[in-house]
Amino acid sequence: MGDVTLYHWEPNANSGKPMLALMEKGVAFNSHYLDLLNFDQHKPDYLAINPQGTIPAMKHGNLVLTESTAIMEYVDEAFPGPKLMPDDPQDRWRIRWWMKFMDQWLGPSFSMIGWSIFIGPSVRSKDPEELKAAIERIPLPERRVAWRKAIYGLFGEDEMKESQRRVAVGIGMLEKALSKRAWLASDQYSLADVNGFNLAYALPLSQPSLSNDELTPNIMRWLRSIYARPASKACWATGRTGMVKRVAILEQPHIGREHVS
Amino acid sequence: MSMTLYHGEPNGPSFTALAALFEKNLQADLVRIDLAAGARHGLSCAQQPEVAMSVEGEGPVLVVDGEGMTDSVFIACYLDDVGDGALLRPSDPCGRWETMAWCRQMIERAAPAAALLGCKAHPPKADASMLAKIGSDDLRLRWQEIGTGVFADDKLADSRLKIASAVEKIEAKLDGRSWLMGEFTIADLESYAWLAGMVDLVPEAFAGKVRTAAWIKRIKGRSAVGSALSLATVADPTACWAPGPEINRWG
Repeated sequence: MGDVTLYHWEPNANSGKPMLALMEKGVAFNSHYLDLLNFDQHKPDYLAINPQGTIPAMKHGNLVLTESTAIMEYVDEAFPGPKLMPDDPQDRWRIRWWMKFMDQWLGPSFSMIGWSIFIGPSVRSKDPEELKAAIERIPLPERRVAWRKAIYGLFGEDEMKESQRRVAVGIGMLEKALSKRAWLASDQYSLADVNGFNLAYALPLSQPSLSNDELTPNIMRWLRSIYARPASKACWATGRTGMVKRVAILEQPHIGREHVS
Repeated sequence: MSMTLYHGEPNGPSFTALAALFEKNLQADLVRIDLAAGARHGLSCAQQPEVAMSVEGEGPVLVVDGEGMTDSVFIACYLDDVGDGALLRPSDPCGRWETMAWCRQMIERAAPAAALLGCKAHPPKADASMLAKIGSDDLRLRWQEIGTGVFADDKLADSRLKIASAVEKIEAKLDGRSWLMGEFTIADLESYAWLAGMVDLVPEAFAGKVRTAAWIKRIKGRSAVGSALSLATVADPTACWAPGPEINRWG
């Protein structure tokens, strides 16, 4: 396989962004799976690749790239295949705006909820001393704080309430934007959609009272359109966890207020 | 195509947008607004989602064909695309990736720290009627918190650390080169934009950083930067601050 290696976890959130971008472009890559729940990303082998210990990272030849959204722009520019950024500069601005909004405002709120109900409980059963040592190995102080909160269930009530508020606001913004055009930030499928799908693919399951075919028909149309793409199907088929397999909800033709999976 | 740039004093994100405009030899109607009084929220485009919910906080707004565009790095990318001057991002994908990744780390770590320290030292003040117009609840809360004049010690200490860390990174990056990416880019503009005002507020971060000091001088010496700074209506624009990006909610 070529000279591209992607170090990633599941097709979900930041890891899934360059995975899906590469697959949309038809770029063959070596997949190096890191088990986030086993703290593979903080072990010496990976820290030699990315000293910050964040996932994902991509090697292209001798070049090591980090920051998932910036990696996606690189993938789009460096390889042939369908363009994932339009030619129009104003469209490109809008795509970057939405990606930042999702990366830095909406995404962390989704993550806080996800970490509290999935990541934390998944690792909490490990040996307490092992967990303590794993936290100490995390290079970035802010990530150390985040992991500590997730592992020990330290998210405060106010924090969770604020995250839920933001998720509701964000869903409203997505629905409104998608009522104006077929894709999130421009008239063509773009990196904003790749980014957004990674954030929202399980929305009708994770936020059933906020997103379904009756409340957010445009979001549901958008999610199904993305999941219908061969690259998305192939990408999510690589998922190993139940979390990622929730994408199957999008195969249901209609998801009402009282949907069943 | 007509463009209107609503900007504050040439510091922080307004500096980036103004300097990029002049670097690219572009014409726009320049309208100064008092970002430190919340004036952005009185603009006719204020409730457009990309204006109201800008992660950057109180930054400039570039209006093109009725659409309000925010977030200074992306405004600068737009100006780079439509303008004629020298490229503000490297021409190769690797250089562009490095520029965007650098800016991401700058806006996510250094910018919130700089805005907090800047607002503590030079408090902005918006009246209640302007605060009521703010479309983002969390931005309004940042205004209200700043308005109390009370700043948590741990946040201040962490912010100073983040500024020191950013300067360390700049000092290392400038080893053997004049500009952060080798050639002059948006990374230089955005880094200067947030850090120029920190020289007085966090002097220990800049102590002994000779390459960073020379880089600041080089940036100030650029013609386009001079044009941006000449728009200041106060003696020291680096002392003008408004609520910026929020500090990472995860810690």
